Amino acid sequence: MYKNYLVTALRSFARHKLFSFINITGLAIGLAAFILILLFVRDQYNWDQNWHRSADTYKLETTLTYPDRDDRVSPGAVDPLKDLFLATYPEVEDITRYLSASMDLRLGDNLFREPAAFADPNIIDFFQFEFVEGNAEGALLNLNSIVITERLAAKLFPGESALGKVVTSTVRETQDYRIAGVIKDFSHNSHFSFEIIVPFSRDYFVGRRWFTEDWRFPLRRSYVRFKKGTDVAGVTAQLPALIEQHMPQETGGQETGRGRGMILNLIGLKDLHIYRMELTGDLATLQGFLVVGLLILVIAVVNFLNLSMARTSYRAREVALRKTVGASPRQVLVQFLTESVVLALVSLVIALALVELALPYYNDVLASVIEFDLFSNPLLLAGLTLLGIVVGLSAGSLHATYFAVLKPSSVLQGNGARDGGKQRFRTALVVGQFTIAIALMTTAYFVTKQTEYARTLNLGFDKENLVVLSGTNGQDSDAIKAKLLESPFILSVGRSSDVPTEGSEDRLQMRPVAGGDMAQLDGLPTGPDFFKVYNIPMLAGRPLDASVGVDNFRTRETREYREAVNIVINAAGARLLGFASPEAAIGQTIRTNLTSDFAFDATIVGVSADFHFDSARDVIRPGIYYLDEFRRSDMSIRIDAANIEAAQAAIGEAWQVFFPGQVMQTRSMAEMVERQYQGDARIGNLLTAFTVLAIIISCLGLFGMASFTVERRTKEIGIRKVLGARYGDISLLLLWQFSKPILVAVAAALPIALYISNEWLSGFAYRIELSPWPLLLISSAVLVIGWATVAGHAFKVARANPIRALRYE
Amino acid sequence: MLKLHNLSKYYRTDEVETVALNSVNIEIESGEFVAIMGPSGCGKSTLLNIIGMLDNPSSGEYVFMGEDVAGYSEAKLANIRKQNIGFIFQSFNLIDELTVAENIELALLYHNIPSKIRKERVAHVMDKVGIAHRAKHMPSQLSGGQQQRVAVARAVVGDQAMILADEPTGNLDSAHGQEVMEMLQSLNEEGTTIVMVTHSPSHADYARRTINLFDGHVVTENLRAAQ
Repeated sequence: MYKNYLVTALRSFARHKLFSFINITGLAIGLAAFILILLFVRDQYNWDQNWHRSADTYKLETTLTYPDRDDRVSPGAVDPLKDLFLATYPEVEDITRYLSASMDLRLGDNLFREPAAFADPNIIDFFQFEFVEGNAEGALLNLNSIVITERLAAKLFPGESALGKVVTSTVRETQDYRIAGVIKDFSHNSHFSFEIIVPFSRDYFVGRRWFTEDWRFPLRRSYVRFKKGTDVAGVTAQLPALIEQHMPQETGGQETGRGRGMILNLIGLKDLHIYRMELTGDLATLQGFLVVGLLILVIAVVNFLNLSMARTSYRAREVALRKTVGASPRQVLVQFLTESVVLALVSLVIALALVELALPYYNDVLASVIEFDLFSNPLLLAGLTLLGIVVGLSAGSLHATYFAVLKPSSVLQGNGARDGGKQRFRTALVVGQFTIAIALMTTAYFVTKQTEYARTLNLGFDKENLVVLSGTNGQDSDAIKAKLLESPFILSVGRSSDVPTEGSEDRLQMRPVAGGDMAQLDGLPTGPDFFKVYNIPMLAGRPLDASVGVDNFRTRETREYREAVNIVINAAGARLLGFASPEAAIGQTIRTNLTSDFAFDATIVGVSADFHFDSARDVIRPGIYYLDEFRRSDMSIRIDAANIEAAQAAIGEAWQVFFPGQVMQTRSMAEMVERQYQGDARIGNLLTAFTVLAIIISCLGLFGMASFTVERRTKEIGIRKVLGARYGDISLLLLWQFSKPILVAVAAALPIALYISNEWLSGFAYRIELSPWPLLLISSAVLVIGWATVAGHAFKVARANPIRALRYE
Repeated sequence: MLKLHNLSKYYRTDEVETVALNSVNIEIESGEFVAIMGPSGCGKSTLLNIIGMLDNPSSGEYVFMGEDVAGYSEAKLANIRKQNIGFIFQSFNLIDELTVAENIELALLYHNIPSKIRKERVAHVMDKVGIAHRAKHMPSQLSGGQQQRVAVARAVVGDQAMILADEPTGNLDSAHGQEVMEMLQSLNEEGTTIVMVTHSPSHADYARRTINLFDGHVVTENLRAAQ
């Protein structure tokens, strides 16, 4: 029986080559697009799934809250929590922690800066890191032992075993570290990014301001493993009480203060990545892409539905005949569903090949490392096969049902089945298809335009030819700067605690001139030359000057903050504080809180133009700038565009003078700015690519419909011609028939596309304006593509001899 | 074999109700050869479709081999049909994608007959209608007469008790028409009940009884003495 189905199906495919080609190609492209997106989504959901007892392991994270400032989210937890957890909750099985820092390794004359985890020794057992060389047992018990990844081992000791080799590093004092083990590299979808595991020692961090054992700095990445079956939500519910009971309310020091609160989060290890994506808004984008993938698949399935319905008349006779010889409706249904499932599976095989071919480019665009492990992953294979079957069933559902209920008597006496209202339904399907395609295309257009616009956005500073040299804090700062400026290729040098694109973490409160609630400004400790090097003009007043005593908030000499100091604010800050103009702000003194414990009198001596310090997605925030000799570790160096290499050499030389034996870290400001747009540019590119696919599939369908219609209307056209219609009339008749659904689709797509684009654009402070014109342009383009698709058919039939057309029946 | 009692069929569109059959009473005995005649649109084909269970009557009774089948589901009808009834059409209705042998075999496919036996029976019936040498050909490669012979073979391959022929000679020249009629006659002599719609009085002469339809009514029934 099935053999007979297959034979009929195959011969029918072979007979209607165009139809089969369009159906298979359309489905294959649709499936390939969907699978590509699915692979990416799967990859994102697969992070950190395979650690030892991932399901019972939770990461402890902290949100610090302040009565008068924004919350601060930290991926770590404070030091005392480990002991507290172990003592309080019997359901806690184990806890491990690490401190994330970089480590400079010296090996002969070579120096390597690598990310390291200063970890509790139980970390290896906790996650069961897999050892390639050496032994997990006791690998971290000795403070001089380290464990490194395979990747780092290959980098340090290419072609030889790293086990037992010795490297030198200065953590607190310079000492030798023996490599006690090499572990497998972390997969790309693990949240661990360190290459070295170093046994944690408190001695390394004695006296470092940012590392203390109290409740101020949630720096320890902490992982808690609960006993199987623990009600973790129950534990989470008890955490506020735990903090209430144990967190000291009055801790000395500048970074804490009255009313500060702490919220602890326990995030399942398996959910960690998705949780992060949710925080950054990337999860919505991911889900958006899944929808796009589904829509493309829907377009392809609609093609199939549509063409199959259009061509039912070609097989109606066969069905009627099968019924007269005894086929039941169910058997007919099964026959046609089987047929479309077979077609879908053929498409799936082609789609899998397409995915394999496209994957390298896809990974390139996404900057991802997605693998297509089809044959080593039976679940994926089964899942995709199921997908093929579901797609086949849905694609075949319409015409199979149609055939199942078809009355054979209506077919066998006549010359094939009548169209019976199917035409309108098919047109509705075409409209639906093009609505999706046009809406996608319009959204892609706005995403691309916005990205372009963001690139041309005036950042308020000059990002070109700027090199950022990090880690220059210390008393030599002035000397380094002087040394750099000795080079004729270095034009100017500015200092600050952070640089543009990074944002600032300091939040200062100032009382507006009109009174009322305290206004919050982003604080940035700088050197006096910051505005000069970034070419940020002063709108009023002057920049700060280190030689003016009262301009210095804190110096290495006094070590204390001044009670009254001159500061600079930006124009947004002046507006926020209620000044009518930048000039009006000059000379005004405002009581300002640096923290909730420390207030000072700030006198505004300068107002700078606004400039972007955070992401260009955000609105420019009000800012306050002051001189602080302790916090200006980033040097921004403007170099001579004509002598970039010489300038870079000069920077390297200066570094070697002051930091011999340490790894120099420089970044290009232009690249840092560019990186901000990469995410959006990526979305734009992908969306465009998938949109093109959607259009191609839709046009394939249109082409099929056109060839079918022309065949069916041959007689009508013949009669029209006999009655005097001319070549042009006939062509127009057919073109108009195919323009109608596209025009309706345009009308339907307009509100959808504008809504989606508006939602996406609302995430940008500086955005392009939506207008219907691009949509109309795109629609015209689609219409032209549609015309080109059907024109061949139209002209052919319009030119044909009417007598032949009439005889054809 | 079958009995139609007060059987009617209407077609409804939005505005008009067309009566295709109006209280028809017909009885056909096993082994009969009945011709149905009448002008175009008199309801001949509708009658044949209802007899063949391809269409449902609007009212009335249809007893087929002792069962009143008027209200049966389509699946049940399909089952009765495949056991008992073979069809021959004016336009042959062969499937273009299947060879001669495959077209004939189609009628056995829904009978749960093992492939080997199917092949044997197809070969046998092809011999009988003289089309065996064309077994592997596609319908488009055959003449009209040959195509109709394939259709006849398909109608009888399942040992159906009754054959319904809807103007089987309508698309054939007289020589080929004659050939098909002789084939039907010999099938009838072997015991197959035949109900045939025809326009041709000379072909109706092959039947033992002629039913004349006009505007959905049975007007006359002529019985012919056995020749």
